[in-house]
Amino acid sequence: MSCIRSIVAVSFLASIGVSTAVTAQEMISDTTARKQPLTTWGVQFEEFEYRYSDDDEELGVWNADAFYGTDEFKVRLLTTGEYEIEEQAYETLENQLVGQIPISKFFDAKAGVRFDTPEGPDRTYAVLGVAGLAPQWFEIDANLYVSKDGDTSAELDAEYELLLTNYWILAATLDATVAFSEDREIGVGKGLVSTETGLRLSYDLIDRAFSPYVGVVHERKYGDSADFAEADGGSTADWFAVIGARIAL
Amino acid sequence: MTVSKFLVAAATILLSATTFAAGTHGGGHDHGAASGEPGKASEASRTITVEMYDNYYEPESIIVSPGETVRFVVENKGNLVHEFNIGTPEMHEGHQEEMMMMVEHGVIQGGKLNHDMMSMDMGNGKTMKHDDPNSVLLEPGQSKEVVWKFTEKGDIEFACNVPGHYQAGMYGDVNFE
Amino acid sequence: MKTRLLTGLLSLLMPAMVMAGEYDLTVDRVKIDTGDFVKEGIGYNGVSPGPVMRFKEGENVRINVTNNLDEMTSIHWHGLILPFDQDGVPGISFPGIKPGETFTYEFPIQQAGTYWFHSHSGFQEPDGAYGSIVIEPEGREPFRYDREYVVQLTDKHPHSGDRIMRNLKMMTDYYNRDQQTVGEFFSDVSENGFMNTVRDRMAWGGMRMMKADVEDVHGFTGLINGKGPDQNWTGLFEPGERIRLRFINSSAMTYFDIRIPGLDMTVVQADGNNVQPVSVDEFRIGVAETYDVIVRPKDEQAYTIFAESMGRSGYARATLAPEKGMEGSVPPMREPARLTMADMSGMPGMDHGSMSGMDHGNMDMSSSGDMSGMDHSNMGSMDHSNMEGMDHSNMKDMDHSGMSGMSGMSGMDHGSMAMGTEEKSDPFYAKGSGLMPKAANGGKFLSYADLKAQDPLYEVREPTREIELRLTGNMERYTWSINGVKYEDADPIRLKYGERVRFKFVNETMMTHPMHLHGMWSIVDVGAGQWNPIKHTVSVQPGTTVYMETEVDAPGQWAFHCHLSYHAAAGMFRKVIVEGGPESTQAKTDVIAKDGGEV
Repeated sequence: MSCIRSIVAVSFLASIGVSTAVTAQEMISDTTARKQPLTTWGVQFEEFEYRYSDDDEELGVWNADAFYGTDEFKVRLLTTGEYEIEEQAYETLENQLVGQIPISKFFDAKAGVRFDTPEGPDRTYAVLGVAGLAPQWFEIDANLYVSKDGDTSAELDAEYELLLTNYWILAATLDATVAFSEDREIGVGKGLVSTETGLRLSYDLIDRAFSPYVGVVHERKYGDSADFAEADGGSTADWFAVIGARIAL
Repeated sequence: MTVSKFLVAAATILLSATTFAAGTHGGGHDHGAASGEPGKASEASRTITVEMYDNYYEPESIIVSPGETVRFVVENKGNLVHEFNIGTPEMHEGHQEEMMMMVEHGVIQGGKLNHDMMSMDMGNGKTMKHDDPNSVLLEPGQSKEVVWKFTEKGDIEFACNVPGHYQAGMYGDVNFE
Repeated sequence: MKTRLLTGLLSLLMPAMVMAGEYDLTVDRVKIDTGDFVKEGIGYNGVSPGPVMRFKEGENVRINVTNNLDEMTSIHWHGLILPFDQDGVPGISFPGIKPGETFTYEFPIQQAGTYWFHSHSGFQEPDGAYGSIVIEPEGREPFRYDREYVVQLTDKHPHSGDRIMRNLKMMTDYYNRDQQTVGEFFSDVSENGFMNTVRDRMAWGGMRMMKADVEDVHGFTGLINGKGPDQNWTGLFEPGERIRLRFINSSAMTYFDIRIPGLDMTVVQADGNNVQPVSVDEFRIGVAETYDVIVRPKDEQAYTIFAESMGRSGYARATLAPEKGMEGSVPPMREPARLTMADMSGMPGMDHGSMSGMDHGNMDMSSSGDMSGMDHSNMGSMDHSNMEGMDHSNMKDMDHSGMSGMSGMSGMDHGSMAMGTEEKSDPFYAKGSGLMPKAANGGKFLSYADLKAQDPLYEVREPTREIELRLTGNMERYTWSINGVKYEDADPIRLKYGERVRFKFVNETMMTHPMHLHGMWSIVDVGAGQWNPIKHTVSVQPGTTVYMETEVDAPGQWAFHCHLSYHAAAGMFRKVIVEGGPESTQAKTDVIAKDGGEV
């Protein structure tokens, strides 16, 4: 029986002109890119804008991040800056480098370092944070910072996008900072430090890669931080008209 | 024959009768108008064997002379239920909707006919039987005869009106000498 | 004895040599012009789509594939039954074809029908590397036609496949331009009331799921045979002819709902296999599926082949006409599809508590109808006497849709009640699904339940075992997986040669997944027993469970994956290893042991 079968098999193979090498064909192991974790990257400027304040202050502002990595681990660079155009000086300049891993269906944890190098004293912090999508489509980014000197603070970013149409989008943002200890040198008092609220109306001009917008931003300082600002001759509340673009590369 | 089956069939017929009330009364079961008439076996000039496969006939065309009576021996050599039906394209089109009902109600089930359903007494001794003289409906392996007199020339086809079969090309041409 | 064996061998050899066909394909960088945009892409023999490869059943083919790209490539012969090392999946069948190299495929053609081929490397297929295969049967076809056309669809996007994948990973809704807006909120308020609409939005927002999440990639131009809607591919016919249209969906991501206003389409093949003919007004073609239909235009006029995407974000269009230049009217696309809670029902751990407030108003309740008002009690006394004379042809107008609510029907064989043109509820969709297909003209829309094998290839037998494959994913992260495990982390699925495996697909996502098992047929359980159709690609709709059985008759290792390009790349992919088999084809097992196994 097995003899007959092998004869049939051989003649079959011969008849189809396939060499017997096929019979010895090994099953290869998959070492292609498909079997490797998918690596991806992205660069986004959530804000890239010109701000004009109610007391004629002019600022160039950006808030961007770039990432590289897999589903399991990403490296992310976050950068925020406010450049005073007249004084040619950075009011704020923060750069964070964090590693990011998923911790739940919708949230990631982040850990890394933050370097603040504005005009004036520099600061270095350790960062621990979570970022993700909360129910009802609120995008949340919450971070805890510990400075080299042991000063701790927390920051919460929240964003909600309202689709007026599939191209006209009204985005509301809230950014609040709380300090758990005072850092007089950089004007931070204990308690609620500051908030920045914004409302921006954008239009997706080129895919989601380039979306010009106009909007208003309100910045406010609170408590001791407000007092410090006043003492230093700064303002504690500002309104800005903004024009800029959301950019994704 | 269960009561429930009867109810469904009854409901079907009642409803269709109602919807039909506003319609015209053309086509339908009014067979034979242009395609000929039932023939007598004794008058048959010859016998033509038509084999039915899935889903085509062999042969796919025949030649007859006007007035000729032909005895067809129809054999289903396929795995599905097939029909041999002599008529004009318009008659076939009308008949296809009835056949669709037969499929929907489980009378035709792929390779089987539900004879219970077909011969079910609908109330006055009437049934859903497929017993018109111009056609036979056969299960795989079955063979039956149709004797038909082609009275005059016309656009006549023999066709299988099991849903989809005619559209797929299961028909043959009746050509006149 | 020896000579007899030799002559036997020779006699087997001789016809084979006569029948051997040699074919050449080059893989090239090409320009693709959709009418809406021009882009760089990949094609075969200098064009995309590539040529129609015409084979004959029983033939042995040699296909020389020359890679003119500066990257690796491969060709997978989608739906063909062949030795596993000819299947063209890099890393599973073979290492791939290097730049500048010519690889020769050699395999016997053991089937007939409509198939296609495409690259299985990276995103070359969405970038244009696909073509069609037409195999003429040895015997006659079980249907007739006077002429035939391949109608190959795709969703050509201005972005490259790599870019699309990256954008989806960055923002899963990057391409979705049918999202719910403020305007839709107010129109829903006027339709369903303020509180219902708020509750509906809250329920979906609570899940962080979008009703509009039907198609991941919008912004494509639908092509038919490489032509955009304005370029209008046209097939000629003489009125009265039967035309066989070989529809192939070679899209990366897009399901199409296809109709030809004014023509009935009789479906005679699905995925290359003959099915019992069924006439329909419209059908949905999943990614990688093929359907052959026969149409018979009787009038001297142009007919439009109109293929709307399932989510209505785009369409393809072509024309059948008696003369070049004639055009039929192009209908507008229907409203964008919206998922319902029914489509979410497959998700485990969903907060069903929050569903109590959901908007039932949006559900398709047609299958429960409103027959409740009918008085069935008097039926016993109805007069059937004139039934013989009645015109059955009008019966199709009756409303069967509510019959499920009739009392006393339990004895009926519902399995055989296809309900024909009246059935609006497709059992292959979740009851109340927002994706439930409906024919534009209110007529018959093809369901998997209508597909019955014309001539079953396999005997029916009890499956030897069942393997459950949960189709899983996370839309926000754009990760896709099987049983929660991505391909990169997964062990292969191990099957034994000779067994019959019953696969249970449970779709726990809200997307549709066309699952494609290489090398062996997928016998889809449509409830027709021995008549269950065999396919190579099985669509599994959200919130549904679909069974298919596979006769494990092909040794070696095979790919098994969702055919949406970006789902497969994101991890909804498996390797299947078939262990054992006839000695001559049995592969070495040492690699198998090394790879581990999951089943």
